[in-house]
Amino acid sequence: MSPAPKVVPLHRPAASRRAAAPAPEDLRQRVEDLERELAAARAEGRAEGLLVTLARILDAGARNVSWASLARLQRAIYFAWHSEQTDDFGADPRFAETLEPLLEFLYAVWWRVETTGIEHVPAQGPALVVVNHSGVLPYDGMMVQLAIRHEHPARRMCRMLALDMFALLPVLAPALAKSGAVRANPDNAERLLGRGELLGVFPEGVKGVGKRFRNRYKLARFGRGGFVRIALRTGAPIVPCAVVGAEEIHPIIAKADWVGRPFGLPYFPITPTFPWLGPLGVIPLPTKWSLDFGDPLDVSEYGKDAADDPILVNRISEQVRSTIQRMIDGRLARRRSIWLG
Amino acid sequence: MARIAVTGTASFLGSRILRRLAEVRGEDEIVAVDIASPPATLQGVRHRMVDLTLPGADRRLVEIFDEEGIDTVVHAAFFTNPRRDAAYSHELESIGTLHLAAAAAAGGVRHLVVRSFTAVYGARGRNPNFLTEEKRPDPPERLSWARDKLEAEEHAFSFAKRYPDLGVSVLRFATLMGPGVHTFYTRVFSKRVVPVLLGYDPLVQLLHPEDALRAVDAVLAHGPSGILNIVPGDAMTLLTALHLSDKLTLPLPHTLAPPLADFWWGTGVGEAPGGFVEYARFPFVADGEKARRELGFTPRHSSREALQAFLAYRYPETAARARVMAEEVEA
Repeated sequence: MSPAPKVVPLHRPAASRRAAAPAPEDLRQRVEDLERELAAARAEGRAEGLLVTLARILDAGARNVSWASLARLQRAIYFAWHSEQTDDFGADPRFAETLEPLLEFLYAVWWRVETTGIEHVPAQGPALVVVNHSGVLPYDGMMVQLAIRHEHPARRMCRMLALDMFALLPVLAPALAKSGAVRANPDNAERLLGRGELLGVFPEGVKGVGKRFRNRYKLARFGRGGFVRIALRTGAPIVPCAVVGAEEIHPIIAKADWVGRPFGLPYFPITPTFPWLGPLGVIPLPTKWSLDFGDPLDVSEYGKDAADDPILVNRISEQVRSTIQRMIDGRLARRRSIWLG
Repeated sequence: MARIAVTGTASFLGSRILRRLAEVRGEDEIVAVDIASPPATLQGVRHRMVDLTLPGADRRLVEIFDEEGIDTVVHAAFFTNPRRDAAYSHELESIGTLHLAAAAAAGGVRHLVVRSFTAVYGARGRNPNFLTEEKRPDPPERLSWARDKLEAEEHAFSFAKRYPDLGVSVLRFATLMGPGVHTFYTRVFSKRVVPVLLGYDPLVQLLHPEDALRAVDAVLAHGPSGILNIVPGDAMTLLTALHLSDKLTLPLPHTLAPPLADFWWGTGVGEAPGGFVEYARFPFVADGEKARRELGFTPRHSSREALQAFLAYRYPETAARARVMAEEVEA
């Protein structure tokens, strides 16, 4: 009798595959156990990392996919990096926590931020940190926020007033809101200062953040002095802050605003890397940064009604602008290299 | 004799207001003014049939107000759900309120309470985080649903200005969510898959109907108060609300969503036209401070509690299971 030809099956027979999968009862039991564990973790208020959550779900056999299991997967992924409760302005503590390692990397490694004068930020009560704006994307705001949270002894949360354009863009708008920024709007600013919160503001606005490389470190006009009026009305001190290094992370050599207009962008930057390198062009250059906080300017002596005095408002605005310009110029004079400081 | 007339008693909020007032003040003190008769459980309440869209509605209303000795009118005849028949919505909401306000002024009514929506502010990227009553409403141009409601408010105020004896309160309620609520919004929260906008996650406010009714009580006790936002004490992001309800979300780009929604609406399947897409993109969170200050009204339920109450009502099995699980964890 000739030996039977040895057949190597290309596919395992269906029956054995079915046998290998756990019985539905087991699976249901495991899913229930996991859900109970998850509920226990939630009850303890323990935060669960994204990877752990994903691993759990794969382990629970997301193979027998149903609408409900997909919805549960989405839910688990969402709540792995979002809190179930935001504050009334939409700031989400867990979202900020998730983003923090990335921001810390940018702060400590990528840009090696050097912060001085942090003691000028008041430890309590309302204050308005006025910062020069640059760098195409709102990196400077994130760094100022991180510096105050990490280096200030009071570990204060500084809420940034985000430009309209950032508050309109997809992805960026909710991300900014969840990390504590609010739309730059006198209503919002007064409400927050009234609660004694710390605010960061960029009076240059779009003119600053979309500045061309050849205009770097020349402060643009400080809006129409809105930040001064808010400070006068609430009596909050103004803390000037000069950011050096952010102007070179995305050097804008030309602008093609007509490209961005259909998408609602006020400008479309052309940098040495963007858009030529595609997604790689979005990576900011690793310049050396410095954040210098200056002496706070107390405007409470002028009183609330001074907010209606345009000459005074303009004078204070100009005073703050020249202070920051001076701080920037001083830093630039001492700086030897863009990359090493 | 100070009697209260309630319009729109076939609507969810109108029927609840009617029931509440009938319980508190007695059935004799309340008159239901509507094209349809009030719910069967309220047969004791006097019902006067009026079609607010008819040209002679104002004359008929004046007669009714005189005969019944009406002092206060609660106007709740508004469509919470968008209707495909936009012309009829306009007739009922805008013109109907015009008739009602004219009749209230002529019929010696002292207090006209108009039900409205925080959605009339419009969801705009440039909105401040908290919309106060002084903010000028700016609803989407193409959304007649919101514009009709705003026109209704304006009609009421224009009569209040001309007839000083007539006081007007406009209650802008946040989106209702809770047990018994059936709106296009809760229908979206009853689907398996919900389209959302890619890269947007605005804050939303969900109002428990109980709080809405308490606000009506408060404003009737206080008298004419102008515009008032009636909102919960907190807000939650739209995605948080959807994920807490175990919905599968389908992100769509915001440029594509309005035409898709319009198409879906046009086929008769969709819940709302494309004009509503903005409300899933930008926040329209209103500030309840004025109601707290002037009426002493503080909401008892947060947005989250309102949502949970709705889910417990809509999905009793899931809610029971979660309760058992929580008890096990505690034990």
